[in-house]
This record gives sequence, structure tokens and C-alpha cells, in this order.
Amino acid sequence: MGTLLEVKNLRTEFHTQDGVVHAVNGVSFHVDEGETLGLVGESGCGKSVSMLSVMRLIPMPPGKIVSGQVMFQGRDLLQVDDEEIRSVRGNKIAMVFQDPMTSLNPVLTINTQVSEALELHLGMTKPQARKRTIELLKMVGIPEAERRVDDYPHQFSGGMRQRVMIAMALSCSPQLLIADEPTTALDVTIQAQIIDIVKRLKRELGMAIVWITHDLGVIAGLADRINVMYAGFVIESATTKEIFGNPLHPYTLGLLGSIPRLDAALKAKLTPIEGLPPDLIALPKGCPFYERCRYRTDKCAEENPPLELATLRHWVACWNWQDVRKQRLQ
Amino acid sequence: MTTRTRLRSSSRVRLVRRFLANPPAVLGALVIFLMVIAAIFAPWIAPYAYDAQKLDYIEKPPSAAHWFGTDGLGRDMFSRIVWGARSAVFVIVMVTLVSLTIGVPLGALAGYLEGWVDTLIMRLADILFAFPGLLFVFFISATIKPGVTNWARASGLSELANSGYLDYAVVILALGVVGWAGLARLVRAQVLSIKQREYVLAARALGVPTRRIITRHILPNALTPIIVAMSMSLGDIALSEGYLSFLGIGLQPPAPSWGNIIAENAGRYWRQFPQMIWLVFIPGLVLATVVFAFNFFGDGLNEALNPEIEK
Repeated sequence: MGTLLEVKNLRTEFHTQDGVVHAVNGVSFHVDEGETLGLVGESGCGKSVSMLSVMRLIPMPPGKIVSGQVMFQGRDLLQVDDEEIRSVRGNKIAMVFQDPMTSLNPVLTINTQVSEALELHLGMTKPQARKRTIELLKMVGIPEAERRVDDYPHQFSGGMRQRVMIAMALSCSPQLLIADEPTTALDVTIQAQIIDIVKRLKRELGMAIVWITHDLGVIAGLADRINVMYAGFVIESATTKEIFGNPLHPYTLGLLGSIPRLDAALKAKLTPIEGLPPDLIALPKGCPFYERCRYRTDKCAEENPPLELATLRHWVACWNWQDVRKQRLQ
Repeated sequence: MTTRTRLRSSSRVRLVRRFLANPPAVLGALVIFLMVIAAIFAPWIAPYAYDAQKLDYIEKPPSAAHWFGTDGLGRDMFSRIVWGARSAVFVIVMVTLVSLTIGVPLGALAGYLEGWVDTLIMRLADILFAFPGLLFVFFISATIKPGVTNWARASGLSELANSGYLDYAVVILALGVVGWAGLARLVRAQVLSIKQREYVLAARALGVPTRRIITRHILPNALTPIIVAMSMSLGDIALSEGYLSFLGIGLQPPAPSWGNIIAENAGRYWRQFPQMIWLVFIPGLVLATVVFAFNFFGDGLNEALNPEIEK
């Protein structure tokens, strides 16, 4: 399986009245063909901004992609011209957003909206696009697709709208799908349906997925590998099994510890992570997790640990990951 | 078996119903409709030509032959007023077209691109706002019109120069050039707000180019305030044209405009009753009624398009 997308040292910041917000700070990762990468972290950790930067959808004032490379099919997406990036968007890399209630244009029919990408990228005529749109709607499980294709978004429920979004995203058979918390705004049963659809389509189309979420439960059943992000840094990267079975970063450990478990003892307490994430305008000199970390040492305050190989195919950005492991195994 | 909830009436039907529940608005719509009919069918409705003089039948009060009487040159007032509707409608339509054609694209560009484009366009609009509209028309009339007229004469287009079409052109140009600024500001505000919405981001994520995003995604969502603003401005345009013609810098007689009809007659028959009634008050009443009609119509349209939920 070759590498589909390679992000090197991506830095994105936002120039606001209160200062420069360092949203993404030297993030590097890759996505291989056909694999599902989970991007996990709390709100504000930079997971959405990273992927929006990959697609160059960051509003350029006040945002700015300061440095980095996004290698996709032999080209650096951050350097290509507008026409080329537009031919990639929706066509080779597609994105599904979080809130299905607002992601669809209320004054256009479903047909118009799903056909748009088909007409734009595949050069289909309106009748051809309409036919394909109906097929796509059937594929994502919209009942009575022939009739509903001329409906407006307000005539669909949230789950249905998200399916329509997925249909739109997959219309041109992209190689990479970026799903930015697509199920966060939906209730659990619908969430399960959507996840099933995405999994099935992924198998059928053989595409890679970057699934952004803060819900570890969701990602456990979906991803092949997981990147954990914090304050604009990738602080741990490993296979799903490794992340859940052998977490090495104190933050990851904290995240796992704060999830209620069905097999926990009755009345066992949840251990939340004390404190709050750092201010992205004034990032500390050393490790961003220093203030909240139980394993911190003086070195952590001075130097920000880089993401390094710890064990087999498992990278972590922590000076003291060995202590973390030792304590956990006791 | 599918169960599906259908709204019992489409949103369009409900919109019409809301509008119809508003008596002044409906009355306004009726008056406008009559005016448009008069404008289109003037040659067939008006019993006499608007400039047909009957010098032995001047200053006659309303009668069976002349429903609104005759003026100082024996011209039938009813016919003149009907033809006046045509002038008014023509000016309103053309000015609205000019304002839309200039104002909407400029406002959309200013709102979508922001930066120096926005500043440039908005400062231009500010300059126009700073001009009192009438003064601007005066200016154009005084400086450009003679020049254009002479040029037309010199190029052998003397028919054009004499026909009065230039008058229309000047009035339309002046009102349109001032009118676009308000529309542009409105469109810009709408675009600024709508472009933050997630479906615009989703469209960009699909690779839709900028021009298409503005025309297909943003502007259709901005339609409601634009329609309302336009319908409110229609009455304003009618009134402005009335002022200009009244002051003599708009449409010139014998071209029939309610404004210049009032002007001619008010001057001549000042304080002469009963002539004032059918020569000045009736045209004035017609103009006022039309302006009210547009205002009520615009209001009704606004309420129908933006229903208050408490009601």
C-alpha cells in the first residue's frame, strides 16, 4: 500500500486582535492508500485546522499556512495554483463536515447540490448527473431516491442530510475522504448507521479516510492507526491496538482513563485530567502538556519533546514515556 | 411501506396567503397592477393623444368626454395621466435594472473578497451617498446633457436629440447611479454574513469556483432582503422622477410625466379654483397614491417573506 498523503511540518496560525493563535505547530503525518487514520483530540487541539489546511480551506486573512508541505500524488498542495487545488477538492480529496443541518444550502434541491461536483469535475450533463445522483442516494441508503432527489434539505432529517453529504463527498470517487466529526451532531443510533455506511463504502471504493473525532469509542472500531493531537502538536501516533492497549503519552493515558467503562467496578471513579489546555496564543516553552502532567520532570518545562519512535510503529512526544509505561504495567 | 410527512401547503402558497391577509398590501398590489396595465396599454386606453391640443376647449372641467378635464392647451388630462403612467413605469423599471446590474455584482464582490476591493467599492458608495441625489441629477443634466445633445445633433442623430429619449436617459442614469450604492451596501452585508455559513465552506470543499459560489450559493440566499429593499425603493424612484420633472430637470413637456404635468399647471393656475382641482390635485393624488401603493406593497412583501413568529 503506497502513501497517499504526506504532511510535513505543517504550521498554521491565525492573526487575531488578541494575538497570533498557533493552531497547528509543525504537524507531520501520512495516510496510506485504503487505510483509515483517526485524528483524535479535544476541541481546539488543531485536528480540524490541520485537515482544512491540507485542503487549503483556511480563510486567509486571518489564517495563514506559515510553512510545511502537503504531498499528494507527487505535488505539494500548498504550492499549487488555485485551479489545481479546486480540481483536487471534491474530486480526489473530499470532506464531510460536522453539522448536517447547516452543511446543505437551504435554497437548492438535493439534486442540484449533489450534481454540482459531478458536473464540475466529471463534466457530466444535467441528465447524466441526475441519474448518477439518484444512484448515489440509493447507495447511501436514502429511500425513494427518485422522488426525494428533488426535495429541499429542510425536508430531510439530520441523519438523512448527513447521508446526502456523504453522497456528495463520494460522488467523484475520491481517493481520500476527510470526515470532520461527521457523527458528533447526531444521536447514537443514527451515528451507528452513518458509521456503517462509511465503512461499507470505504470497502467498495477502496478509499482512505481521515476520521476526526474526540470520541475514542467511535474511533476504536473504525481506524487502523490513530494520531493523538494536543495544542497543535501530534503527541502520539500508533496503530489502534497499540494506542488502546499500550498508551505511552500521559495525555493519551488520561484520555483513556476518563472514559467510563462498562467493565469497571461499580462506583469506580472517573479520573479526569486536571487543568485546561494551554493558550494557543502564548504557548509555553517546553511541552504543552506540562501543567497537567503527572509524569513531568524539569526537562519537560524546558524542551518540547519531539515525536520519536518509542516501540514498534509507535511514536510518542514525551521525555518520560518509559515511566508512563512502567507505572501502567504495575 | 413508507410513512412520510408532507407539509400540507408548500411554502410558496403560505407566502401568498400571508400577503393576502394584509389589506393595504393587497390594495397596493392592485394599484400597481392598474398602473402597469395603464403603462402597457396606454395607446389603447387613452381616448386622446397626450399632446393633441384642442385650443377651443381649454380648461374644461371633468365631463363625459374628458374624464379628468382638459388643460390650458386643450389636452385631455385623463390621457395625459395614463401616458404618465407609462413614463413612470418605464423609469422605475430601467432605474431598478441599472441599480441591480451595478449594485448586486459590486456588493457581492465587496462582501466576498473583502480587502482593498471592499474598501474601494464602499468608499465609492460613500461618495455617492454624500451627494444629495437631486443635486447630482442637476449636475448631470447641466453638464452632460448639453454635451450629449450636441454630439447627437452633430452625428446626424438629431431625431434622438429632439425626441426626449435623452431626457429619459439622463434621469435613468442619474437615479440609477445614485441608487446602486444602497443596494450594494445591502448585498455586501448579506454576502459577508452568508459566506460564513457551513454550506459555503462545503461548496468550497467540493472545488466550486468563486464566481459560482457567489451566484449559485450566496446570492439566492440573499434574495429576500434584496427583494424587499427593491420593492421599497420603487415608490422612491417614482417620487424622485416626479420631483425632477417638477423642477424641470427631468422629463420635459410635452412628454407626459406626472411631475411635469403638476409643474406646468401649478404655475399657471396657482390659486385658481376650480381649475387647480383637476389640473394639479388630481395628478398629485395619482402620484401620491402610486407611491403609497408601492410602500404598502413593499411592506406587505416584507411581512410575507419574513413572518414574525409571535403572530
